[in-house]
Amino acid sequence: MELEHTALSRRHFLGRLVVTGGMAVGASLLAACGQPSPPAAPTSAPAKPTAPVAAPTAAAAPTAAPAAAKPASGLKLTVLTHWGDQDQLTVLTPILQQYEQQTGVTIDHQTVAFDELLKRITTGRLGGPAPDIYHFYNLWMPDFVGSSLLQPPPTDVTADVKKSWSQGSVDGATYKDQIWGYPTEVNNYLLIYNKQLLQEAGVSKPPATLDELKEASIKATKKGADGKISQTGFLFLKGWDSGVVHPFTSLLWSNGGEYAAKDYSQVMFNQQPGLDIVSLETDIIKNGGADLGFQQADFVAGKAAMTIMANWWGAALRKGVPGGIQNVGVAPIPARAGGKSTPLQYNWLWGVDKNSKNSGEAWKFLQWLNSPQGSGSSPMGNYLTTGLNAIPSRTSDQQAHADVLNDAFVKPFVDALPNSRTEPIIPGAQEIKTSLQKQIEAAWFEQKEPKDALDTAAQDANRILKEKAQG
Amino acid sequence: MESVVGAAGSIERAGARRRRLPRRAAAGYAFVAPALVFLVLFALGPFVFTVYVSLHDWNMLTPVETMPWRGLENYRYLLLEDPLFRETFRNTVAFAIANVLITSVLSLGLALLLNTQVRARSLWRAIFFLPYITSTIAVSIVWNNLYHPSYGLFNGVLGLLGLPGQRFTSSVEQAMPSMVAVAVWLGVGYYMILFLAGLQAIPLDIYEAATVDGANSWQRFRWMTLPLLRPTLLFVAVVSTLASLQIFDLPFVLTLQGGPVNATNTVVLYMYQTAFNFTRMGRATAMAVMLFLVIFLITLLQLRLLRERE
Repeated sequence: MELEHTALSRRHFLGRLVVTGGMAVGASLLAACGQPSPPAAPTSAPAKPTAPVAAPTAAAAPTAAPAAAKPASGLKLTVLTHWGDQDQLTVLTPILQQYEQQTGVTIDHQTVAFDELLKRITTGRLGGPAPDIYHFYNLWMPDFVGSSLLQPPPTDVTADVKKSWSQGSVDGATYKDQIWGYPTEVNNYLLIYNKQLLQEAGVSKPPATLDELKEASIKATKKGADGKISQTGFLFLKGWDSGVVHPFTSLLWSNGGEYAAKDYSQVMFNQQPGLDIVSLETDIIKNGGADLGFQQADFVAGKAAMTIMANWWGAALRKGVPGGIQNVGVAPIPARAGGKSTPLQYNWLWGVDKNSKNSGEAWKFLQWLNSPQGSGSSPMGNYLTTGLNAIPSRTSDQQAHADVLNDAFVKPFVDALPNSRTEPIIPGAQEIKTSLQKQIEAAWFEQKEPKDALDTAAQDANRILKEKAQG
Repeated sequence: MESVVGAAGSIERAGARRRRLPRRAAAGYAFVAPALVFLVLFALGPFVFTVYVSLHDWNMLTPVETMPWRGLENYRYLLLEDPLFRETFRNTVAFAIANVLITSVLSLGLALLLNTQVRARSLWRAIFFLPYITSTIAVSIVWNNLYHPSYGLFNGVLGLLGLPGQRFTSSVEQAMPSMVAVAVWLGVGYYMILFLAGLQAIPLDIYEAATVDGANSWQRFRWMTLPLLRPTLLFVAVVSTLASLQIFDLPFVLTLQGGPVNATNTVVLYMYQTAFNFTRMGRATAMAVMLFLVIFLITLLQLRLLRERE
């Protein structure tokens, strides 16, 4: 009887385990929505007395941000960013405190890691009050706009952005003919190379054409006595959508191709210029110009001669590359013979939640943050250049920080901005990008022919575009 | 008269019992209430909501009440039109079969070994258990370097032995076996401890009797140890299958988001990507519901197969 009782309990236990385990699959997914991860480095400004503030919920764009600087004490703005590293906060927090002191407005700065940011924004409205202000990647705009997450800026903000930012950054903050906020950091992709490794390989100057890229990659690859590749000529970044698709798109544009139709009704990356690029990449791999086992850290460790990457990588390169940052060269994206080098750029921007009860004050804060002060730089420009080591997108900030931006590593990226094109901001862009990444990798790993891979990605992308268009 | 009084007394006692029963039942309900509330709030409620969302199209940015109804469209799409879902499902099943089989056999072997009078037995147990309590993320980063085709430790050792270097996680063919190896390394110590507990619950006098009857060590293992370990085997099979079918962290970090080319992408990782990268919560929850059904059926089958032999 005792044994029977034990067996019965065990069965019951296991039966419940099955049900609970299965439920856990669903529950964990939902729990992840409802309970955003705690901030990587929560940074709340000192609390101040609060009082209820009535501010209209603006659905349409007001004509102007409320005129300046009468302290509105007791009001609190919640700002969500992915800037939680201590180095970044050391510069950013005093700027936010300066605004608090000037206006009496409390800034509650919440931070999450970049990987968590989209999740935090999408779940923000489910789990209590959403932030008033978001700092976000421009690729997310179609989803945000389509779901009425963002409030259109006041007309004076829109006018300021149009006047004071380069066209690429204005395009990067625009969706459906509407500017959705203040552009902040801008990143573009160029050819980054290890000077010493190219020199040792007998490559006197960085490759300027696609053919030269293949030739230099093969020359710069080294094999050990055991036949294993000990140094890759070209480093293909894999397993990361932007690491695969941004270099591809830069090469595609520099080869005269297009990513998508102008009306975004269909993608075009599978046409001949795109096919040429993926074929070139697979040729480089097949001919021993690249080894797919190498990773981003291998370039930093001096085991890869060339790659295509963005300017934000500079901080890691400065810390790690043998021979220092002066051993790292930056060159335009190799183009077809006689073609124009056209790097991809992407932006981040500040936007205001459409449901924010403090939207007027939010825009006023953003206006202060992004407008030139006494030194000629905006507070945002100061933060981007000194706290984030990034390129500010406001033209006057670039001028005010010319000394920083004239750095040998950064300058080529700044100089390339006028020729850079913004990443296509299309509905379902993230999903399309991931699908394209997987298909390009399939070609690299010889799982598919380049044409088959690109056609599959295009078919997938066109289906996504159609679904998004149907709502 | 006495009998009337006695009858009345027994009626009163019966009535009092009836009145007391609900109070006792209420006390019982009160004791289980916290667990029930917990179950409803954190398991049943989210599960029902998951099923509800799976019948809709939702990106989490719009209010729940405005989700467009899609019926079974998300299920139809995943089953009939999404090759990646089928691929991730195949990967998940392949991973689960390999991981459960290898881990079970290895951990049982280790448990048998460490159940003998081997020297420094406690130290060995601790060494085998250590990986289980180590962060999977840290483990993945370390193994990623060990697997590096150029300067990884494993290819170094293969080179010393005069064997050709392998691509490991950089190869579409070798990525899955490489990931299974790490999963086995991580889990074997835990299941070994479970088997050890099971082995130590078997009375020694049974073995002594069998030895007296002339049973050799294989016969003792086959006809005594294994049948008596069946409850532990059942538990290990169910728990490791549940864990394997929900594998997420290893493909997320070790093979860089299920690569190369989705060779190690699993259902839960794809579910995560669909929900939080593509903001298609309806489709992701449909995957969760289907995975639940698969886990449910597989585990019922395991219970039935192992119970029939009892």
